[in-house]
Amino acid sequence: MTTIDDFLSLIRDDLGIPLTAADLDLALDEVAGWDSVQLLSLLGLLERATGRPVSLPAVLEAATLADIYVVATGAEPAR
Amino acid sequence: MSAPPVESAADRLLALHRSGQVAARYPEIRALLAGLPEEELARAGRLLSRLDPDDVLREHPAQPRVTIAVTGNGTLSGLVPLLTAELARHGVVLRPQVGDFGTYVADLSDPDGAFLAAGADLVLCVLDPAAVTDDLPTPWRIEDARRVLEEKVALLERLADRFAERGGGRLVLNTLPLTREITAQLVDGQSRAALGAAWREANARLLDLVRTRPGVAVVDLDPIIADGVPALDVRLGVYTKARLSPGLLAGYAREVGHLARQVVGRTKKCLVLDLDETVWGGVLGDDGPEGIEVADTYRGEAFRAFQRVAKQLAAQGVLLAAVSKNDLDPVRRALRDHPRMTLREEDFVRVVANWRPKHENLRELADDLNLGVDSFVFVDDSPYERGLVARELPDVAVVAVDDEPAWHVTRLLRDGWFDTPVLTGEDQHRPARYREELVRKDFLNSFDTLTDYLRELGVWVVLEPANEQSSARVSQMTLRTNQFNLTTRRLPPADVQALMADPGATVLTVESGDRFGGNGVVGAIFTHREGAVVHIDNFLLSCRVFSRGIEQAALSAVLRHAAATGAEAVVGTYLPTAKNGKVADFYPRHGFTAVDATTFRHDLTDIPPVPGHIDLTENLGGDPS
Repeated sequence: MTTIDDFLSLIRDDLGIPLTAADLDLALDEVAGWDSVQLLSLLGLLERATGRPVSLPAVLEAATLADIYVVATGAEPAR
Repeated sequence: MSAPPVESAADRLLALHRSGQVAARYPEIRALLAGLPEEELARAGRLLSRLDPDDVLREHPAQPRVTIAVTGNGTLSGLVPLLTAELARHGVVLRPQVGDFGTYVADLSDPDGAFLAAGADLVLCVLDPAAVTDDLPTPWRIEDARRVLEEKVALLERLADRFAERGGGRLVLNTLPLTREITAQLVDGQSRAALGAAWREANARLLDLVRTRPGVAVVDLDPIIADGVPALDVRLGVYTKARLSPGLLAGYAREVGHLARQVVGRTKKCLVLDLDETVWGGVLGDDGPEGIEVADTYRGEAFRAFQRVAKQLAAQGVLLAAVSKNDLDPVRRALRDHPRMTLREEDFVRVVANWRPKHENLRELADDLNLGVDSFVFVDDSPYERGLVARELPDVAVVAVDDEPAWHVTRLLRDGWFDTPVLTGEDQHRPARYREELVRKDFLNSFDTLTDYLRELGVWVVLEPANEQSSARVSQMTLRTNQFNLTTRRLPPADVQALMADPGATVLTVESGDRFGGNGVVGAIFTHREGAVVHIDNFLLSCRVFSRGIEQAALSAVLRHAAATGAEAVVGTYLPTAKNGKVADFYPRHGFTAVDATTFRHDLTDIPPVPGHIDLTENLGGDPS
């Protein structure tokens, strides 16, 4: 997984949450269908998809899905 | 003509999810899940758990459903998708109720609290090792661990008692895994060994709750872990308290799936085996009886192990049948005469060997045994045969084995298809009784009319109150019987015992037999009396003994007894299900008039007689009958 689109489709097709790019920068509690259950599932999926460990404390502290993407991939922040 | 390829099952599910059609197409889901590899099941569960179960049930009201409440000492939200998928594999819709995590003591202590008052069918109290280690002081010694283990087990025993007092539903506990992160904290060998012993004693006491508290099930996590599944996910545990590993939760959910199956009465009853390359190595028609492998060779020993497990299941009441593309005579000779064969002809209730499509043979076998094909588990090494059966008879559970027979036993036992809360005396005799039944059928075919046959059959019936010996069997019948079951009220053993102890209620057993031998306890009738009206709460009869007048004899006795003890009417209820249509007219046929769609009333003026061919012995207690 490298691109933000890969990240979005992971959430859509593996977690089953119908996200759009607009949801990426919302606070997590404002994302429809998002809760802590998904966060735990997403952690495992991200590690499998990127092939490397993700820092759990950093993901747990992330405020938005875009932040999680940055933590998981080490990509430059979009903003 | 083969099963859908793996890719397409996952893709199909995803396509249904994307187009928002999963609820509408829910009956297809079970077959899709059967085609998924195990690692895909978790994802399927996540997609399915996005659905509102009530949407599914609104579209498919006949779909069986089970309510499961989840509590425990850790974060367990990841369990719900896994349970959703495992129940869906059995065609059961999960209605989950998830409590706050870490609140199991409060949840299970308060019978009127929101958690228990919701009346779930299964209440899961999922515990991980932190239930013990969180209570250890720092630093701790072996004495501390012993004390905490003792306290926890005593607490769980009390919670189980309180749960039992309240009645209804089943409490599901689990053993606590012991990991090196705990044992290795003690550096001296003696203390470490003592901890291992004390921990396992605590687990042994938990497992013993199943014996002492009939409403409790305990999932033993050790065998799942021994298969190579890590017990804990250390990082998730530290950061989120989701301590049990996803793999262990998946194995746990699979066990719960089979408990849910029991709740809805979908226990499998018959194991149908292919022969060539499933029961023995080689092809009988090509290799001849000397050429097939059943012992002594490398592959032969693998098949022998499989045959022994099939025999082991049969000894516990599972009906064994063979359906094979072969000529019948050589198959019979091989089963009878092969010196090293473990399974013998008499271990099977029926051996079907011919060249017809297997789904037709299975359908016919179901008719002969008076069972639904949904009580069959079918094992075959041929993807073609499996695919055809799966497509034509989607209710049959299909177990795939392949050309590596060393895995046959593992594959067969991977799911607890035949799991049951308790074995009764009936179970050991069941295969023999079904074999006798097939002999009766042949006997029947030699008569011109059914009446002649029944007269010659010499049917006897004993109707009497349930007792200590028969109560487990009565519970089992309520859980297993689907066709002749007027209200399909499932009663765990504890509930049957509660009714037996209730002075206002009566639980009767129907035992029968004939010239071919005893059938054992084949039916149960539940009644209670309100003033001058006797209510039949349920009436059920084993499918083995339908259509012999036994039901009329028993009903006649209940009606006469009601009249003799001053009742003015008897009221019966019929609640239709997908499977009990054949008894829809049971009450009207015997002189009851419909009060409404589900209630029928008999005014006791014209009581149907006991059929002339039946020798009835009745002991309904109390006043003369």
